[in-house]
Amino acid sequence: MERLRFVLPKRRLLKDSLKILKRAGIELSIPKGRELITRRKKYELLLARAFDIPVYVEHGIDVGICGSDVFEERSCDVLVPLELPFGRCKLSVAMPRERAVGVEEMEGFKIATKYPNVTSKFFEERDIPVEVMKLHGSVELAPKVGIADAIVDIVETGRTLRVNDLVEVEKVMDVSVLLLVNRISQKTKFEVLNNLIASLRRVVDEWER
Amino acid sequence: MRRDLLTESERLAYVAGKLRRSFESWGYREIFLPCIEEYDGSLRRGTKFSYNNQFYLIKPDITSQIVFRMRRPRRMKVYYISEVLNGGIKGSWQAGAELIGGEPSDMYVEVIKVAVSCLIAVGVEDFYVDVGSLEVWRRATEDVKEFRERIFEALRRRNFQRIESLPIDQEKKRELWRLFNFRGRRSGFRLLDEIVERVEDERVFIDLGTMRPLPYYDNVVFDIYSPKLGYPIGGGGDYRARGLRAAGFALYLDRVLRLRSGEV
Repeated sequence: MERLRFVLPKRRLLKDSLKILKRAGIELSIPKGRELITRRKKYELLLARAFDIPVYVEHGIDVGICGSDVFEERSCDVLVPLELPFGRCKLSVAMPRERAVGVEEMEGFKIATKYPNVTSKFFEERDIPVEVMKLHGSVELAPKVGIADAIVDIVETGRTLRVNDLVEVEKVMDVSVLLLVNRISQKTKFEVLNNLIASLRRVVDEWER
Repeated sequence: MRRDLLTESERLAYVAGKLRRSFESWGYREIFLPCIEEYDGSLRRGTKFSYNNQFYLIKPDITSQIVFRMRRPRRMKVYYISEVLNGGIKGSWQAGAELIGGEPSDMYVEVIKVAVSCLIAVGVEDFYVDVGSLEVWRRATEDVKEFRERIFEALRRRNFQRIESLPIDQEKKRELWRLFNFRGRRSGFRLLDEIVERVEDERVFIDLGTMRPLPYYDNVVFDIYSPKLGYPIGGGGDYRARGLRAAGFALYLDRVLRLRSGEV
């Protein structure tokens, strides 16, 4: 039987992704140490950076799991057959508490973010010209040291914002976790993928009950 | 490392030569279009720029450019081999044919046959053509018209969960689920069954979940893909050109070249 290849994010969503796949009957073995690929029976698991998951799936890996934030940012041509019931959070605009203003007053602001495309689109739709600055992590630092006026980043519990004396100004989007499927795999592995999606749909329904 | 463009060009020229012979054996004539067009809402893709306070597009989608350039309805059989841009500065090469004017079902059959023979001519034989119909979905959503856009969006993403969440009755959902998952050679839809029968190639299937990214298609759409490559190698469908029925397809040559060179 042909091997089914999965790509999962290395960090935040890995545990729940493996758990939900296991409940749907797919047991993947986790790479040990610095390994990035493992094989178990007819399944292969690749671990990648969250931001690269849609790119891997677009270019031929059969199935991936990533947040809708990353999916929107990368805008890859992949299928999204399911929303998964964990990892929900939001992407928001935040600012230092003492200088906080509404989004409408942010004209000319420098916005630091890991999501330059989503951020530009958000401000363009509001017709507010801003300068978007792409950073790769610890975005909260940027307004603290004065290189940006505000940030657009993931907010889960709000703890990181509080610790860094930032406040949420406005939500950009709700974030949920998505199952991605390669467009061509959906055709060439039609039965296997349809069965996988059907099993996952059942697990999602039970999970939410 | 800088790409070896000259070697790539040799490979492209070889494939282009084969494609030209194939198109011409079907009676298609090559068409040459300007690489820059004044911006117009009917032109798709291309990269926008401004010059002397006017907006222009560099290398837009060729099908929309042909329709844009047609001053009056005119029956044509044309092909092109051209670079196209999609908002950025890096272009990709495409070869395609457009059959404008004629009996729709004959046109669908002909353009799919031309696409199949082009791929065979360049040495790619491991591929499939999946044919779908927008009309089937329009009819199926006639009684839930208010949700049609959301159903089409769900179809583009192949996300049945979105259809499940709509306030429509279970029987309708079951009907949509059946369409969603149909892939075979006899669908019960006369036009699609006729196309597959007349094309007479075991690589051609009906997949009702087929959708194309460009908005101008009218009814029949098809995707061309190879199990060896993770993304489509071509696709097409039917559209209207100045009131005439038309059908066409494009092959993505960088992908065809990868298949030929055994890179995948």
